[in-house]
Amino acid sequence: MSIEILTLLFFGSLLFFLLLGLPLAFVLGGVSVIFLYFTWGFDSFYMVASQIWGTMGSFTLVAIPLFVFMAMVLERTGVARDLYRMMHLWFGGLRGGLAIGTLVICAVFAAMVGISGAAVVAMGTIALPSMLERGYDRKMALGVINTGGGWGILIPPSILMILYALITGVSVGQMFAAGIMPGVLLMVMTVLYILVRSTLQPHLAPALPPEERGTWPEKLRALRAVLLPIGVVFMVLGSIIGGITTPTEAAAMGVLGSLISAAVYRQLKWSILQEAAIRTFKLTGMIMWILFAAHAFSAAYQSMGAQELIEGMMQHIPGGPWGIIIAMMVIIFFLAMVLDPVGIMLITLPVFMPIVKSLGFDPIWFGILFVINMEIGYKTPPFGFNLFYLKGVVPPEITMKDIYTSVIPFVIIEILAIGIIMVFPEIATWLPGVFF
Amino acid sequence: MSVLTAFISGVTRLNDFVGRWIALLIFAMFAFLLLEVGFRYLLNAPTVWTNELTQMLFGVYAVMSGGYIMAHRGHVNVDLLHSQLPPRKRAVMDIFTSLIFFIFTLALLWFGIDMASESISSWETTYSAWNPPIWPVKLAIPVGTGLLVLQGLAKLLEDIAIAFNLDYYRPDQSISEGEQS
Amino acid sequence: PATAQETFTWKVQSHWPGASSSYTDSLVRLQRVLDERTEGRLKLKLYEAGALFKAQETFNAVSRGILEMGTISPSYAQDKISLAGIASGLPFAFRNVWEAEYFHQGMGFEQMLRDEAAEHNVYWATDKVYPTEMVIKKPINNWDDFTSLKIRSSGVLQKFLTEAGAAASYIPGSELYSALDSGIVDGAHWGAAQGAASMALYEVAKYHVQPALNIAGTDVIIVSMKALNKLPEDMQQIVKDALDEQFWIRTNEYLYKERLTLAKVIAEQGVQVNVLPDDVQNKLVKAAQAMWDEEGERSENAKKALDMLKGYLAELGYL
Ligand code: NA
Ligand code: NA
Repeated sequence: MSIEILTLLFFGSLLFFLLLGLPLAFVLGGVSVIFLYFTWGFDSFYMVASQIWGTMGSFTLVAIPLFVFMAMVLERTGVARDLYRMMHLWFGGLRGGLAIGTLVICAVFAAMVGISGAAVVAMGTIALPSMLERGYDRKMALGVINTGGGWGILIPPSILMILYALITGVSVGQMFAAGIMPGVLLMVMTVLYILVRSTLQPHLAPALPPEERGTWPEKLRALRAVLLPIGVVFMVLGSIIGGITTPTEAAAMGVLGSLISAAVYRQLKWSILQEAAIRTFKLTGMIMWILFAAHAFSAAYQSMGAQELIEGMMQHIPGGPWGIIIAMMVIIFFLAMVLDPVGIMLITLPVFMPIVKSLGFDPIWFGILFVINMEIGYKTPPFGFNLFYLKGVVPPEITMKDIYTSVIPFVIIEILAIGIIMVFPEIATWLPGVFF
Repeated sequence: MSVLTAFISGVTRLNDFVGRWIALLIFAMFAFLLLEVGFRYLLNAPTVWTNELTQMLFGVYAVMSGGYIMAHRGHVNVDLLHSQLPPRKRAVMDIFTSLIFFIFTLALLWFGIDMASESISSWETTYSAWNPPIWPVKLAIPVGTGLLVLQGLAKLLEDIAIAFNLDYYRPDQSISEGEQS
Repeated sequence: PATAQETFTWKVQSHWPGASSSYTDSLVRLQRVLDERTEGRLKLKLYEAGALFKAQETFNAVSRGILEMGTISPSYAQDKISLAGIASGLPFAFRNVWEAEYFHQGMGFEQMLRDEAAEHNVYWATDKVYPTEMVIKKPINNWDDFTSLKIRSSGVLQKFLTEAGAAASYIPGSELYSALDSGIVDGAHWGAAQGAASMALYEVAKYHVQPALNIAGTDVIIVSMKALNKLPEDMQQIVKDALDEQFWIRTNEYLYKERLTLAKVIAEQGVQVNVLPDDVQNKLVKAAQAMWDEEGERSENAKKALDMLKGYLAELGYL
């Protein structure tokens, strides 16, 4: 059977069983096993077990439960609630103020973690209830968390960039530097979008009525609420930048910070810690079982000949160098709807990189386009990690359909950002040139 | 039919019990990572064991979560169609898709047992500088998957009862819907 | 025994990422050579690191015949191959690459490895022998400089560096660059010059330490015996000959590229070669020799190999 037909059947069955409501992890795993049986035979199931074993041994993933636990403690002890109260008192008069505040927190979170899942789960826990309580539109709130939570792979440190560097041979430091300005660009564009949208449709992100905006003494008192979160951020970022911890170990500093905050709030109780631990276990386990199966899924697809498919496609692309780059972006976009980023890298980069280099494009610049495209993939239906992570924390009345549709404007913004960085490559290439 | 009822609630209780203990590993992972930072940064004496032990605990933590999460309906799915259906139709659909669930988990169980027994037969260690036994972590794969398979069976029995209106299971008696996150 | 015209396609799981020079120089070369010599009857389908199996699982997959071929480091097969510890390199044993070459091919160590691997239905062929060298952020001028170092290491060398008095810790490869950059560690080893350059370590650590921590057959090509035996006899011989030839060609080529890379980073990135002072070297050799015997305790075979190694080193005048 040709790889084209296999691809259709493979992803077709993924979609079919997803729609029937079987949990994602089991759909990915089950479809992999079935296709492996018909293309490779019974023994190949060993690969599924072995991929799970490999995922269990990935040290950088240890950061997930720790950052999730940190968020749970900050939420349960009231630290997060007070932070949002403060933001509301100060920026409540501004339409979309809370959403913008959430995006700022997302950017800070992104600078602390190198992965995407922890931030989405953490912000879904902390920010979503606060926004919904204050009358924000459901889709607006969900979309903001989906998009901001994904910035962790663009703003350094970033595990995805390190993998990109390993596969393509570019400098990690240059990739990190290159991600900063595009990260800022994305943030500015998203903030602008929210300002415009909430001005045109105030009910989406309502401003606080003037009588509830608080007096100056209230505002100043509320300001104390930022001290603890800033302290936590300082502990995490300070220990990474100061050479005290690796990004993974820094997650433990975040937990320490959240425990200290809990103590300051006189909430350092076993009942709270135990509940936080159990919620962390559920969320981390959910993420990990999806990752287990997703890794098996992309390994299965690679064994069926995914790379030949990409090689074949590249031979039929018209339109000169820019046509080729845009075609690559489109291919990655579609793959990212249904595959995990690491799998996409292994399938596409060996084919794309020689072409990118021979056309005279900067591999660092291409890497930034690639990473932003992965960010889009994290939130495009049907299979986007961020969507599912968020689904794991939202209240039951929020459906997958709400989450799926919430991302549309934010995906468009990121596609626009890719376009802007294509037209002005300096946004990505200027900083690495200054640093190195 | 009371055997089936007992099986369903027994499996759910077992997973609940195991999950509540395994969940506490987060404190150990936190403590060991912090310890390593302290040893390396303050005493200039990194240990050979903290990061590796944390990694091993994380592996167990992750793979043992499957059954507990299923018992609490925590594995996310796409509910576009699912949530629109009445309970009986939904149960019929879940019986059908459980085929895919069992294909995956039984393949994993089979090769997980294979992997673990091979590891145990040589009392496999990691051959790192610390060189601890690795077989207990490999053993966690079939154990964790086994718990998941059991919970899947329990859910299948529930779905069959709902679909065919059998009296060994009534959704309102379910203890598996206790906690909502 | 198959018909002469039948064609075979082998899945090959590499432990090198695609950007690694060895991926092209070792695997793509082998792919081309086998294609030519079998007149297209044996095709290798190459997979980058981690695509189908993680490096630590590749030996098992080849042993079970799920994969026909793979590349590994001996340390990934430690639980199966008792000689793996010696094959991955005892610290400060050989002083020149040719000595390790002769140990493998002239004295029969390669055959010993091949015999052990055969018990697991694996045909073992060392791809090349090469040195492992450290890069550090500040030079070592005396023993205190060495013992004050925090070094990213792994496996036997981590144990050795710790016992020798430095503070060695394991940090995964994906966090190595940031760890060196921010000063969590002051040094690391990732292969030698080419390895360090591929991880961009010279951007953040400017001293390349010589002599090598060890010299060993750190890259190995493994073939499933099941797959090998399915080939017609002439093709089996072609595969074995190509692998034998690969060892010499790749070792030589790798050394050449080592020097080329080092010259390049010295010229372009201001890297300096830090030759360890004699007293530091002597202390390290002593610490290393104390550790060798542990590897001999792994099995009868390991003891035999270690005795052979010691006799050889004595013959060379190093013991
Ligand atoms: Na980040
Ligand atoms: Na997607």
